[in-house]
Amino acid sequence: MKWATRPGVHVDRAACAWLIRRFVDPDAEFIFPADPGAIPADATPFDMRGAALGHHQDRCSFETALTSFELADDPALEEIGHIIHEADLADERYDAPAAAGLDILIRGLTMTGGSDHDTLVITDRLFDGLYEHTRRQLIIGRPPA
Amino acid sequence: MSQDGDWVLLAYRLPRVPSTPRSSVWRKLKRLGVAQLGDGLVALPADARTREQLEWVAEEVSDHGGEATLWLGRPLDTAARSAVIDRMTAAVAVEYDAVTAEAAAAHTVEPAARRRTVARLRRELHRIHGRDFFGCPQREAARSAVETLAATNTVGVPK
Repeated sequence: MKWATRPGVHVDRAACAWLIRRFVDPDAEFIFPADPGAIPADATPFDMRGAALGHHQDRCSFETALTSFELADDPALEEIGHIIHEADLADERYDAPAAAGLDILIRGLTMTGGSDHDTLVITDRLFDGLYEHTRRQLIIGRPPA
Repeated sequence: MSQDGDWVLLAYRLPRVPSTPRSSVWRKLKRLGVAQLGDGLVALPADARTREQLEWVAEEVSDHGGEATLWLGRPLDTAARSAVIDRMTAAVAVEYDAVTAEAAAAHTVEPAARRRTVARLRRELHRIHGRDFFGCPQREAARSAVETLAATNTVGVPK
């Protein structure tokens, strides 16, 4: 399937792309049209104004996507949702100290050239690690070494 | 932040009732540190982050049955631009000054409470810094007051 979002991906879009590729559509193809009006009819938009997979009811697009893809019962994904929420919105709804670092790392990545596809290759690895870390932490109840 | 760059403007209209969405939108705009240019017209210096932030506020307005459009613009009048920047800087200066005063007052409290105050004021400084677009000079005093408080090891002040 084709998935479309705005170019210059940042934390919420990178996290959504990872979620889609890992849990929804392993063959996902991502496109980044600069003009929101130029999204092909066969592509599903996400993290864009007007998209169902966007910010709604004070939730970031990743949190909306968790509900929409029926993944909200995975506690590690829910926890990552809190981190993305704070990295993206910083409204202090959740206690997610990892958010500040993640925001800076991904913002820095987008500044050092490379296409959005290149950025997603790196952020996919980051989120794989974050997911594994969060999952283990939930199992043992303390930060895993 | 450059003083002569573009601004992103949000023009919005929300129904008067219910009032909850209106106050939620206004709280978000306050937190972002917008300049209010008119009734239902706010602006921020434009960058990738502020554009996105205002886009999501616009989405919230639409979700609640209002109308919102985003614009990119530049003031033609230098004096008007300076006045807006001065107003924004004065607003964050008041916030920084409050942190400075609170940090100064916390030197006499017991160490555990002082550490909690340091943590809270650091977070507060971080929040204010996020809406300090034009390098408010009062920031340094506030930062230094909080770090001085953090470095205080004695209980209370010497008589």
